[in-house]
Amino acid sequence: MRAWALWFLFFLGAWAQGGLTSPPPDLSPEVFAIARELRCPVCQGESAAESNSGVAVEMRRLIAEMLGEGKTKDEIKAFFVERYGEWILYEPPKRGVTLWVWLLPVLGLILLGLGLFAYFRPKKPLPPELLEEAERRLKEPQ
Amino acid sequence: MTPALLGNLGVSLALAFSLLGLALSLLAYHQGDGRFLRGAKALVAPAFLAALAAFLALEWALITHDFSVAYVARNHSVQDPLWVTLVTPWAALEGSILLWGLLQTLYTFLASRKPLDPWRASLVLAVLFGIQVFFFGVMATIASPFQTLPNPPADGVGPNPLLQNHWMMAVHPVLMYLGFVGLSVPFAYAVAAMVVRRYQTWVGETRWWTLIAWGFLTAGKVAGMWWSYEVLGWGGYWAWDPVENASFIPWLLATAFLHTAIVQETRGAFKAWNFAFVTLAFAATVLGTFLTRSGVIQSVHAFAEGPVGPAFLGAFLFFTALGLGLLSRVSREVRDTVVFRPLSREGALLLGAFFFAGWALVVVLGTFYPLLVEAFAGAKVSVGAPFFNQVSAPLGVGILFLMGVGPLLPWRKPRAEVFRNLYLLLGVLLLGTLGGLLRGYTLGASLAVGLFLYNTAAILLLVREGVLARVKAGLSPWGFLANRRRVGSLVVHFAVALMGLGIAFSQTYRLESEKTLYRGQAWEVGGVRMELLGVRALDEGRRFAVEASLRTDRFGEVRPRLHFYPQMNSPLPAPKVVYTPGNDYYFLLMDFDREKGEWASIRLIVTPLVFWMWVAGGLMALGTLYILWPVARREELKGVSPA
Amino acid sequence: MGSSVRNWLWLLLVLALGGLFYWGMKRNPKELPSVLAKERRPAPDFTLPLLPPYREEWGEALRLSDYLGKKPIVLNFWASWCYPACYEEAPVLEATWRRYKDQVLFVGINTQDKEGEALRFIQQFGLTFPQVFDPRGRVGVDYGMYGVPETFLIDGEGRVRVRHAGAIDQASLEGYLKEVLP
Repeated sequence: MRAWALWFLFFLGAWAQGGLTSPPPDLSPEVFAIARELRCPVCQGESAAESNSGVAVEMRRLIAEMLGEGKTKDEIKAFFVERYGEWILYEPPKRGVTLWVWLLPVLGLILLGLGLFAYFRPKKPLPPELLEEAERRLKEPQ
Repeated sequence: MTPALLGNLGVSLALAFSLLGLALSLLAYHQGDGRFLRGAKALVAPAFLAALAAFLALEWALITHDFSVAYVARNHSVQDPLWVTLVTPWAALEGSILLWGLLQTLYTFLASRKPLDPWRASLVLAVLFGIQVFFFGVMATIASPFQTLPNPPADGVGPNPLLQNHWMMAVHPVLMYLGFVGLSVPFAYAVAAMVVRRYQTWVGETRWWTLIAWGFLTAGKVAGMWWSYEVLGWGGYWAWDPVENASFIPWLLATAFLHTAIVQETRGAFKAWNFAFVTLAFAATVLGTFLTRSGVIQSVHAFAEGPVGPAFLGAFLFFTALGLGLLSRVSREVRDTVVFRPLSREGALLLGAFFFAGWALVVVLGTFYPLLVEAFAGAKVSVGAPFFNQVSAPLGVGILFLMGVGPLLPWRKPRAEVFRNLYLLLGVLLLGTLGGLLRGYTLGASLAVGLFLYNTAAILLLVREGVLARVKAGLSPWGFLANRRRVGSLVVHFAVALMGLGIAFSQTYRLESEKTLYRGQAWEVGGVRMELLGVRALDEGRRFAVEASLRTDRFGEVRPRLHFYPQMNSPLPAPKVVYTPGNDYYFLLMDFDREKGEWASIRLIVTPLVFWMWVAGGLMALGTLYILWPVARREELKGVSPA
Repeated sequence: MGSSVRNWLWLLLVLALGGLFYWGMKRNPKELPSVLAKERRPAPDFTLPLLPPYREEWGEALRLSDYLGKKPIVLNFWASWCYPACYEEAPVLEATWRRYKDQVLFVGINTQDKEGEALRFIQQFGLTFPQVFDPRGRVGVDYGMYGVPETFLIDGEGRVRVRHAGAIDQASLEGYLKEVLP
């Protein structure tokens, strides 16, 4: 168990954010709301609100500071885009190369609606005897 | 005999039996010879037993700490508790594939017991044996669970700590695999139907399998959400991570298939859609594994990149091409000839299925869009939760709306009394939504309230209708319960409405706040007052724990923790979740004073109605179980429960 | 005719999907572009305390703008907990620094680390180029850093030219230096 204790000490040291004795700042709900829309740079698909990695902790701290300076959500997001590019935004902007990811679902929905409209519209109704025949065949064991 | 020897033997034999079975069943179809079919059927049980032997060999190696097996050395430690050891076979890639293969042989065994004409029986067996050949082929070559080490270590590191933090993790993968494998049987029947050109009966014959698969997929997803909520320490249950999406896609397609299958069963329509949906749903189960193992997409769940990526990609493409290729060959013959009205049961079912399929398409688009942009524009972009939430909301509203009105509509064309019900329901929807808005909820949350009440009213109307019809016919009203398909589906539908309510509220009204508290300092947030009593460290053998004690005014003493595992780079938060019918209170310890234990950073997340989401998950499983319960089939055979 | 095209559409779809995924497997998903290097932005300035062994020669704190625009600068972000990548590249950096010390300035930025651990690391590799201490990693965010180790090359005009993610090897470093040296 001694090895464990040693490891523990080393580990705490390594994990500590600089081993500063000053505790982390208080984070308001707005900080998390903004952090949730930003990607944590070192993580594999986690937002800056969820991750406990050093960068994410620092990003939350930065957001809290900027909010304290009276910056708006858009200004804070722009601050990170300036440094990391639009990759950092979890919500793809509705312009440029990511415009299509927003447009395609809408276009698909319109196409779907048109397709369904055509499907349901009885163009030339089938003769009733044919329909009856179809129903009758259906009930027969195949 | 060593575990590795037994395991390799089991895998090789399972592969050999599956190959032989594949060859015999194909021969049986080609030659039209029943002897080959009997031979193929005789191989089903041995393949299962060989796979079982391999699986037990892995358990044997784990229990006896046989570190000469590479899988054991990488994923096991002598300090692991027994239950962790027993579930370690599905804690990593090779073992998971073994479990998947084992379940496939079990389902093949069960499916082969069902009487079927020899033509289709041989084709169904050929498809199922083919799937087995893939899994055991992968295990025999590139991902062997029984690879040995020349210099075995004295002890291993143990499984990923995330997996041993909650018992749910023992259950979630098994449920998912049971669901994935369940889709293979309807897929095999669909292939057989397209080859022999008998398009109608297969949906009815595989209804049980589809429901089983759907039930397990649903239970697996909810279990995964619960695990994510209780273990990962971010206070959420769904992150729209690519791997979560990859297992959501088969669920969406299976749900679409489940609903269009009803139309084919009763009205003989939508045959082409059923073939397409079942093919894509089954192929999508393989796609998930490809995504996790190939490093194609960044994900929290992505594991070490291995050689299995290309193999699973190949399998995905092969199954998709097989199903869609056969469908395009027969597409002329499966066209719908019946005229539909949108305001009919089949109209609502088709529309609902399209909403599910459209949702699957949107999830696919969002998941692969970054890859697409990178391939064609060379830029890196992210598509995350904000996108998926925004595009899913309208689809969810559409589904919840159709779910209420659909079962009330009669087949073919509406009757006059249907319109009366319809207006009543729309009134409930409108009043519920207005009530929500008046209480100050957002439009989305108000709509969720309206839709929940509307669905509840629709279900009550249906129960009333069923009971009244019985009373009028002089039957006992309790007989309604014997109509298991209807009652079970109503339970599931109610659960879905409840889940929708929970999702809408938990996504809209989530309060998250963090504060550093010094010993004795109090903090009031989200309706709770807490005071830090102290911080202490505990040595728990496998891990170290740091625990903060908080005195709260409503829940007594609460102790969130941080767990330090030797094999992890950063500590794992162990949240303390207090469930109440209204809000969930989620206490997290984020950081602490390492020198004197004077302060601790506490995060509190307050989320409404999450508790009801787990209740809804349980109801969905119960409703499915009620439909599947064997008694019902006997009663149906006796003719006790016609609708 | 039209329907036969439609009948083969599925095959096109399958092939396109297969091609996209195959391409996806071949590339490295972790490779991310640097906005600074791509646009050749002026290097963000910072003032950070030097670690004790370097104070005698370089002063209490190092302000980057004091050196920008005079000669090229190699900026290396590292941490003692970054094993093995940071441990692999440290000797390479030290050797190259010794060779080019008259033409190029090397600055190490110890990021999200503990002072004691950082000093042990420095001693282990005998690092002689100036090392500054950034326990919270704020400068890393200014440079759009994803994770340690990362190395930035700033040219003689004070603009970021190259960003190298992961451990740097001798050949790449020399190659980058040729780009920024007059």
